[in-house]
Amino acid sequence: MKKHAITLTVNGEERDLIVPSNRTLLDALRDDLGFTDTKYGCGTGECGACTVLVDGTTSINGCLTLAATMDGRSITTAAGLARDGDLHPVQQAFIDNDAIQCGFCTPGMVLKTISILDENPNPSEAEIRQGLEGSICRCTGYTKIVEAVQDASNRLSGLGE
Amino acid sequence: MTSRVMQDFNLLLPETVPEALGLLASHKDKATILAGGTDLLVALKFDYAIDNVISLALISGLDELAFDPLLGLTIGAKVTIADIVKSEEVKQHYPALWQSAVIFATPQLRNTATVVGNILRASPAGDCSLALYALGGKVTLESTSGRRDVYLDDFWLSYGVTARQDDELAIAVTVPPPGQGQKSAFRRMTRVTEDLSKINAAVCLQMDGNKCVAARVAMGCVGPTLVRLINVEKSLEGEEITTDLLQAISDTVASDINPIDDIRSSAEYRLKVAGVLVKRVINLALNGGSDQ
Repeated sequence: MKKHAITLTVNGEERDLIVPSNRTLLDALRDDLGFTDTKYGCGTGECGACTVLVDGTTSINGCLTLAATMDGRSITTAAGLARDGDLHPVQQAFIDNDAIQCGFCTPGMVLKTISILDENPNPSEAEIRQGLEGSICRCTGYTKIVEAVQDASNRLSGLGE
Repeated sequence: MTSRVMQDFNLLLPETVPEALGLLASHKDKATILAGGTDLLVALKFDYAIDNVISLALISGLDELAFDPLLGLTIGAKVTIADIVKSEEVKQHYPALWQSAVIFATPQLRNTATVVGNILRASPAGDCSLALYALGGKVTLESTSGRRDVYLDDFWLSYGVTARQDDELAIAVTVPPPGQGQKSAFRRMTRVTEDLSKINAAVCLQMDGNKCVAARVAMGCVGPTLVRLINVEKSLEGEEITTDLLQAISDTVASDINPIDDIRSSAEYRLKVAGVLVKRVINLALNGGSDQ
C-alpha cells in the first residue's frame, strides 16, 4: 500500500509522520502520535467522540478523515486546550457543572462547545442543543452538558465567576 | 460494534483538475473520487473495495460558491454543506437548498460533506440533492475529452447509479437564476434529526400573484431514486393556489410515488404522510420561511 509523508500541526506543535493511505486522522492522532484524548466511538461519523478542530475552530470527525489528506493542516485536540497548567474555561465549566459521568464523550463535547461559542458567543438553549447534534452522550441526558455550555459562554464573555 | 478497519487502497492526491482527469482516464473503474468522504469512508469500512482513491483535497479552485443574478448559483465540487448554510445569498434566493442544508446530518458532517458528493451518492433520500432537483440544477462533468452538463432530471439512473462515466469528474453543480416570482422550500420527516429522512419533499414554484405559472415538485424515499411528482406539478400549473386545490393535490400524491418498507419507515406510512408533506412544503414556499 502507498505511504504518505505528511506534517500535521497538533496542538501547536509540528509533527512529521508517514501514514498508509487508509490511516484515518483519528488513528494517526491516537496510535502514531499518542493523543488518546481523541476517542474512537462508532467509527462512522455518528457519535462525535472523535471530534477534533481543524485550522481554528472547525469541528470534524477524525474517524471519517484520511490523515494523508490533512498534510499541512492544524489540528486541536482536547489535550491542547490547557494553558500554563490552567484548564480552558470550557473544560473548567464542564467540571464545575458535573457535565461528565464516564467522560468518553467529553473531549468531543468540549471541542464542539469551543466551536459553537466561536460562531455564537451567547447561544440560546435551543442553539446549544442544535450545535451539539453530532456529539452523543450515553450517560448524562445532556442537561448538565447544556448547563456547562451556558456557563462556559458566560465565562468567556466575562459575565461569569 | 467492534473496531472497523478500512479496506486497503492507494490514495492519489492530484494537485490540479487536469491531473485528476488524467488519473481517472487511466484508472477508470479501478478508481473512485474522494471529496468530503463522509459516505465513501464509511463504505470502505464495511464492504466496499476499490484499488485507487483519488482525493480532491489538494486541488484548488473547486471550492467556488458563487451567485450571479444572471447566471445563477455555481457550487464547486469541494463546497461543503456548511458553506451553503453560511451563505446569505443561498438563504435569500434558494430557500429550499438552504433549508435542506441546515438540517443536514450533524455539524461535524456538514463541515466535511460536499453538496456535489451528495448528488453523486445517488441516494433516494438525499436532502440537498432533492432541493437542487426541484430548483432545476445540473451537474457539470469533465473528462480528458471535454466537458458536458447533465440536468439532475437525467442524472440519477437507479439506486446509487448516475450518468457520470468512469473517466469523468463532477466539477460543479449549477442552479438557474431565480425567476421574479420564484418560491421554493424543503421539508423532511425523520425520527431524530441525525437520521436520514424517512420521507422528504422540495418544491420550486414560479408564481404570478396567487397563480402558479410553473412548478417543480420532488420527493425522496418513495422510489429507487428521487422522483418528480408530475401529476402534482400538472395540477398546480396555471392554477390559483387555494386551500381546496392543496387538498385535492394532497389526495393525488399517492399516484405519483411507489414507496417501500425499509428500516426507516413503511410503505403504508409514507403513502399516508406524502400528501400532507407536499401540502406543507407548498405552504412553506408560499409563506416564505414559515409553514404555519
